[in-house]
Amino acid sequence: MSKILQIFSSRRTWAWPYLFLGLFVVLPLILVGVYAFTDIEGHFTIRNFVKFFHHSEAIQTFLYSVMIAVFNTAICLLIGYPAAYIMAQEDFKTPKVMAMLFILPMWINFLLRTVATVELFNMCGLPLGEGALLFGLCYDYLPFMIYPIYNTLQKMDNSLVEAAQDLGANRWTCFWKVIVPLSMPGVYSGIVMVFMPTVSTFAIAELLTHNNIKLFGSLIQDYITTTDLLNYGAVLSLVLLIIIGLTSFFGDHDADGEEKGGLV
Amino acid sequence: MIKVKGERLKVIATLLLFSTMVFAQSNLTYDLKVGTTGENKLLKEFPESYAAEKVNIKVTGYGLQVTGERLAVSGIDSFDFIFADKAVETEGKFDSIYSYRDEGEVTWTVWRNNKAVKNRKQAVLRQNAYRAFEDYLVANTSVSSKSRGWIWWLFAGLALLGAAFYGGYILFQRRKEKDLPAVEQEMLRRKRMGNRRHYVSQLYLWLLLLVLYAPIALIAVFSFTKSKILGNWTGFSMDLYVNLFTGKADAGLNSAIMYTLIIALIAAVCSTILGTLAAIGIYNMRARARKTVSLLNSVPMINPDIITGISLFLLFVALGVSQGLATVCIAHVVFCTPYVVLSVLPRLSRMNPNTYEAALDLGATPAQALRMVMLPELWPGMLSGFILALTLSVDDFGVTFFTKGSGGLETLSTFIYSDARKGGLTPELRPLFTLILLVMLIALIVINIRKNKQEEK
Repeated sequence: MSKILQIFSSRRTWAWPYLFLGLFVVLPLILVGVYAFTDIEGHFTIRNFVKFFHHSEAIQTFLYSVMIAVFNTAICLLIGYPAAYIMAQEDFKTPKVMAMLFILPMWINFLLRTVATVELFNMCGLPLGEGALLFGLCYDYLPFMIYPIYNTLQKMDNSLVEAAQDLGANRWTCFWKVIVPLSMPGVYSGIVMVFMPTVSTFAIAELLTHNNIKLFGSLIQDYITTTDLLNYGAVLSLVLLIIIGLTSFFGDHDADGEEKGGLV
Repeated sequence: MIKVKGERLKVIATLLLFSTMVFAQSNLTYDLKVGTTGENKLLKEFPESYAAEKVNIKVTGYGLQVTGERLAVSGIDSFDFIFADKAVETEGKFDSIYSYRDEGEVTWTVWRNNKAVKNRKQAVLRQNAYRAFEDYLVANTSVSSKSRGWIWWLFAGLALLGAAFYGGYILFQRRKEKDLPAVEQEMLRRKRMGNRRHYVSQLYLWLLLLVLYAPIALIAVFSFTKSKILGNWTGFSMDLYVNLFTGKADAGLNSAIMYTLIIALIAAVCSTILGTLAAIGIYNMRARARKTVSLLNSVPMINPDIITGISLFLLFVALGVSQGLATVCIAHVVFCTPYVVLSVLPRLSRMNPNTYEAALDLGATPAQALRMVMLPELWPGMLSGFILALTLSVDDFGVTFFTKGSGGLETLSTFIYSDARKGGLTPELRPLFTLILLVMLIALIVINIRKNKQEEK
């Protein structure tokens, strides 16, 4: 009994239940790899990969999804940076309220927002399609871009800007040479936080484009839910996983979740 | 004191022009007809697919109304298959005709079912039926007229008038300024520049918010009318709210709400307990182990939900577990716990690590020490973790979608998804989400006020 108590009193052991849960995180990810390299009977094979490289639809969809994600990230950055910059200005009186207003829509279920966006497009007589897709994606992920940038800009040491101005830099130079480089960590994490969900998005695309445009996420969903093609679906997931891994590596230097935690 | 007027006026004029643009778009009127006369070939050729009877659809601005007999469809087991982009209100169960319009042209979009068919013959048959159906709809659709409403002209006129007045006003001001000394002119110019920058940036933010809130406002506004289609105003009514609270809403919606709450509660409670214990454990680990576990902790947060969903789906498949409520709960605990850990950890690092040891030295059992020393320090972090987990769980779609199995378990997200794929939205979702938004708004305002008060202290 005392021995059990002793084990329990060591607080390090308290993480054990969580490590058990870790099994639900790591093991499944390994399983994606395992399924990708096996056929339906469980024998090792690389046929699934060969199939992927001969499957032009899959490759095209993949490239298209990456392109859409890049575009969306760029648009979010172009729209979000000025917004974050304005909010972080010293003479801006209500940054907190504004930040709250930008985050509030995210509490509404994103599918419902997407459906409402579709209705809005119908109301305005705008055609659904690629434009609607980009609008919807940007609409869904813009707060993810604004918030981290706003955070870094707000924490930025303003005396640096003042120093630049004292040394004769005009507004433009000051912005490009001082503010932008200093806000790069926020931009990086914003890019990661927008790019990753966009490249893996599914469900939104079909609603916004009448199922005319298929993104990689939907393709994976199609294959993985079909029993015979589960292994092939695993290959596609693995491809996505690699992209995700590369992206998160890109944004690694501040992946401490601080910005994410601050979102809510 | 030199004042600069006119900037506010400019903002108003811009907004007026903007609203005119919106009106210009929304006040186009179409009349279009979809209908058949005489014998229906479809029924003969594809007896097992569907029969289309006479139907007239009138589109005015937005929203579709069906007059005439409804389109009867037979032979297909469910309506998952055919649907294009706009729900139609009819008396019957059928609500899946859609039209897609674009400047006087009407295109019918027919969505194909991607469920498995039993054999090739059936697939071919279905394919042909779809094609025939599409051809049929296209052939029988016509647009008869298109016009602009008087409101459009009114707004366009008003905007032009406003712009003219504004221009005149500015010219008038500039001429007056010419008489001032040069220094004052320069000061005015600078002030105007500053003001302009201020207003432009304000305008930018508000326009962004306008776009961001437009779809949500659409939901909120149309929660007060009882039409089945979002975007079709049939007079003010609280019926949807009443339906929602008296359980008269769609049975699927009711059970989806219930399951969403159950799953969220289970997931939040489990992940709060697990996450808190884990945070304590991680905090007391050696640096290297801590790093590893932190990395592990960040995996579900970095992974997009589709990957988490698929990997767990594969795990359950590999284990041969039948998927349902339990698997969804486990999955939700998996992706919620890291967030709890992250909200508890800062609390731990803020508290004095010696108090726990002191309690043990003074004879408390670990359980007592946990309850009486640790918990009072940790509970704010636990609470925010709990709330975070709750909202994450309620909002989740991707993970639930892959782990819910095929037993008919639906949460709100998956319910909305299948609803949207079928065509419309269950009307009662509108009041539901309006209420959720309202609660969130109030909660955020209260939190902000309390924070401000604390800061003042």
